[in-house]
Amino acid sequence: MSISQRKKIYRRALDLFFLSQAKHIGSSLSCLDILIVTLAYIKRDEDIFILSKGHAAPALYVVLNSLEKISDRELMTFHRDGTRLPAHPPNYHFKDLIHFPTGSLGHGLSLCCGIAQAMKLSVTHQKKNPFVYCLMSDGECNEGQVWEAAQYASAKRLDNLVALIDRNGIQAFGRTKDVLGDAASKEKWQAFGFEVFECHGHNHVEMKNIFKKVRTSRQNKPKVIIFKTVKGHGVSFMENTIQWHYLTLSEEQYKQAVEDIRKNL
Amino acid sequence: MRAEFVKAIETLGLKDEKLIFLTGDLGFNAFENLVKKLGRRFINAGVAEQNMFGVAAGLAYMGFRPWVYSIAPFATLKTVEQVRNDICHLGLPVKIVGIGGGYGYGIMGSTHHVLEDISFYNTLPGIKVYVPAFSEDVGQAVKNMHRESQPGYLRLNIAKKQNLKLPAYGGVRKIFSGEGMTLVVLGPLIHNALDALKYFPEATADLWSVTEFPLKVPTSLIHSIKKTKKLLVVEECTNVNGLGERLEICLYKNRVCPRKLSHLYARGYPSRLYGSHQFHWHENKLDAEGIKTEIRKLLT
Repeated sequence: MSISQRKKIYRRALDLFFLSQAKHIGSSLSCLDILIVTLAYIKRDEDIFILSKGHAAPALYVVLNSLEKISDRELMTFHRDGTRLPAHPPNYHFKDLIHFPTGSLGHGLSLCCGIAQAMKLSVTHQKKNPFVYCLMSDGECNEGQVWEAAQYASAKRLDNLVALIDRNGIQAFGRTKDVLGDAASKEKWQAFGFEVFECHGHNHVEMKNIFKKVRTSRQNKPKVIIFKTVKGHGVSFMENTIQWHYLTLSEEQYKQAVEDIRKNL
Repeated sequence: MRAEFVKAIETLGLKDEKLIFLTGDLGFNAFENLVKKLGRRFINAGVAEQNMFGVAAGLAYMGFRPWVYSIAPFATLKTVEQVRNDICHLGLPVKIVGIGGGYGYGIMGSTHHVLEDISFYNTLPGIKVYVPAFSEDVGQAVKNMHRESQPGYLRLNIAKKQNLKLPAYGGVRKIFSGEGMTLVVLGPLIHNALDALKYFPEATADLWSVTEFPLKVPTSLIHSIKKTKKLLVVEECTNVNGLGERLEICLYKNRVCPRKLSHLYARGYPSRLYGSHQFHWHENKLDAEGIKTEIRKLLT
């Protein structure tokens, strides 16, 4: 993907947040590159991707739009009355792209365990060696269900399961280290029996290489890629701040954000 | 009912390769044979019910027909959000089994009881609830559930064998006819009702057994209530959104107003003391004695 294409996706995300006055912009910009790389380059037709951090739905919609899976016209209905694109992923629409209605944090990894196990039990799936990808936030890893699922994945040796963690170090009302500690640490996931990979979360080349290592790994373990990301990535006044989990863009801020993306990305 | 349930699952599992059985670390002295028969399709998901339900949703999404099994409160209260978001909102064919509904786990204490499962499952979209009354019901209920493409909940309890000619299985069935009153019972409390009726002359009550929700009230039941004008409803769950309320709404819609109406249900822990299943039935007037007293009140 060219720099201009990447900038275009970031710009579209900013447009969407400004026009809709939706929240969760910081969390969406934090994982936008993970979504671009996973969905545009890594995920094959037989693989499944679940956005467990459902509050980053706008980022998912924008990337699906860039892949021509969601039309421009549909995208512009985001967050409006009568839309098929609410602030968290829907359960009735885009069934081939959005498999479960996420948004209540902690559900995704369990769902992916079931999908990964089904892939292993099904002969037709086995031939294609499919993977299931689950994108979670580091704050989400506070949820007990994540660790129930982690134990399950490890015990059942679901080596076709790849957890992706957007580790920006900030959750809704504090820094992860100050709230419940770093639940996305390498040591914790290793202790739970995962093969752990770490990677810069905004460098596409590095990210693609990590995915390649993940896919070619011969370890009979579930995998996790811990992406070091920046909340509000690309926008100077948002980066690494807590408040941009919830704040919405004013016109002035929007213009500044667009300029930041143009210059910095 | 557990033995009948295991037998039914074993039979179905051999026929249908899509059947997967997940248990929340339960089944000692019950599932050993099932483990052998299902092989990889028998999964002990550990003491992690929320994950187990998510896994079941993922399996169902991929085309499998998962059954999830735990003690009734853990299969229901602990996992209600997973059931709503991951299963009901997509209408996935996950079949939930709760063993020991109501006060079934007796002296184990209130954490092991569930009085609210019927109530909230009746509010969730598209889930069918089964509360078999007789052990003979279980095989057919399991078969029906497995065939249905929607989510399902099966509440199992202990049921004693009756020397009774039962009508064919159905969601609402007349067990026998009577003139003095209409007695409608949810699930296995029918056995306490049968014991209570032994104290009265034959044909005292028109006795009905309800085993499924959504409640589909047959016209013959409406006619029975119209005729006897006296109605007693008995159920081992809260009085909110269960059999009593559902039946009352149906009667209201049909402009039927019984002259006497009584409702026995699980009131919780009135004395704040704990005991066997029998003890809690007695405390809540759900035992044969309590039902007998209520019948007598209605008849006088």
